[in-house]
Amino acid sequence: MILEISHLKISLGGVSILHDVSLSLGEGEIYGLLGPNGAGKSTTIAAAIGLLRRDRGQVRIMGKDPRTEPKLVHAKLGVLPERNGFYDWMTAVDYLGFFAALYGLRPSQADLRDRLACLGLEPRPGQRIGTFSRGMRQRLGLARALISDPALLILDEPTNGLDPRGRHEIHDILIGLCTNHGVGILLCTHLLDDVDRLCKRIGIIVEGRTVAEGTIADLVRSHDHLARFRLHLNGNISKPDVPPEVTVIARNGNWCTVDLSPEIDPETAWRELLFMGWPITEVRRESGGVEDLYLSLTDRRAA
Amino acid sequence: MNVAGLIARKEGGDLLLSPRGLAWLLTMAVVLSVFGLLLVGNTELSLLDNAQVVYDMGGIVTALGALLAVVVGTDAVAGERERGTLVSLLLTPVSRMGILLGKLGGQAIAWGVMYAIALPYFWAVGSTGQNLADGAVSVALLGTPVVLGFGFLAMGLGARFDSARSSLLTGLIVLLLSASPLLLGPSLQQSAIGRAFDTVNPISNALNAYDAVIIDSQTIVAQFPHFAVTLVWLAVALWFAARGFNRVSR
Repeated sequence: MILEISHLKISLGGVSILHDVSLSLGEGEIYGLLGPNGAGKSTTIAAAIGLLRRDRGQVRIMGKDPRTEPKLVHAKLGVLPERNGFYDWMTAVDYLGFFAALYGLRPSQADLRDRLACLGLEPRPGQRIGTFSRGMRQRLGLARALISDPALLILDEPTNGLDPRGRHEIHDILIGLCTNHGVGILLCTHLLDDVDRLCKRIGIIVEGRTVAEGTIADLVRSHDHLARFRLHLNGNISKPDVPPEVTVIARNGNWCTVDLSPEIDPETAWRELLFMGWPITEVRRESGGVEDLYLSLTDRRAA
Repeated sequence: MNVAGLIARKEGGDLLLSPRGLAWLLTMAVVLSVFGLLLVGNTELSLLDNAQVVYDMGGIVTALGALLAVVVGTDAVAGERERGTLVSLLLTPVSRMGILLGKLGGQAIAWGVMYAIALPYFWAVGSTGQNLADGAVSVALLGTPVVLGFGFLAMGLGARFDSARSSLLTGLIVLLLSASPLLLGPSLQQSAIGRAFDTVNPISNALNAYDAVIIDSQTIVAQFPHFAVTLVWLAVALWFAARGFNRVSR
């Protein structure tokens, strides 16, 4: 495991913020850390990167404790914090060069410009960071987090302020980092679409405790949620048979609404339906995904 | 360049290239201009002699330098934390001590710039007498530990307080108390408490040394006891900043 947090307890100013948080993240994996506002996500991140003293519990990044070996850990760690500030009087290239130098790197100006361009950031020559839009700042923050080619990336709301195309580009970059370079990514976000697209495993924190951790499929299954989908059919169904785990709810023109029981994986269900002669051309999830799981777990705790 | 040097250069950039830093320096220059004009005017009217004018300018430069140091020191830690830039520095593989040394270097750059701005004003008020060099050297030797000490104190306060405003306010109160010999009358300074305060107060020690060198024409070497007090002040402030900076969490 590249990041392991077990039974973490943290108090700030005598107030207990985290009671019992555990999560683990492997190489080449994107892990979604979810929870309502004030649940303790940012505190968990601050503890994971060694900025906070722990009352109890363990944090290991690449087998090392970030509190006792910060230099070794930080050398292979990239972080995009929630409150991400910049030196507004610098240019993006100077800013990135400054941080590269702090990591002992000496990239050329062309290298730095290439790194920025890879993240879709191509400011005018001499343009100061102070004039950047929120999206440009977010990309620059990501470029800074990636400057040392980290093994672990911790990103707090990385797509904040980005337009849909920008979000998509950042998603592709993160997926590429995981699949091509084996980077582990801890993604803390409120955007469940991001989680759905990027993460296989998630952890949900509520009131300073991990209330759910595992793969999205397992968690949805274990919480006994029926997943509801709308299927677009190109024509009529020759035989209206369905597998026992699939229930047809409604039919409206070319659209058919079905519920899948937790026992069946959606991909398997679609394969079986296609095999049974269903002319499926498009599938849209209606409910039963991360969002329902998240709402049910956070609601239950709030109640 | 080592990492502390890099951070010091960045801090210098914060002062010399950011609108905020330039505004502070401009303010200092305007204040020095106003005092310079007053002192020159008084000299022309023969109300003050040349030595007294250079001594006054030395005190003003030291007090303004300490004020700038408190502002820059607060901004270097508490200000950066509020703007969200400090955490990025803390997450680099640079030790806390390395970052702190860089920020201390930034303080030294700020004082160096302030001193460079003050030199023409020294020349303007003292060029007609024999005290110009003594004044400039005294301020360089005794003013430096005093000013840097206030900068380090502000950094330590910034590390301990949650808000930049609270730490700036506390730093200014300490500065005001330390500068009270400039505000109190001679009778209060001669009381037992006044004398005891004068003995340990770094600003008083610097001013007493300026007085001895510029007005009484004593040697700078003879001011070693005053110099020692300012060095102790610098060491205590440095310890305070280092202890505080190690506790900064985000």
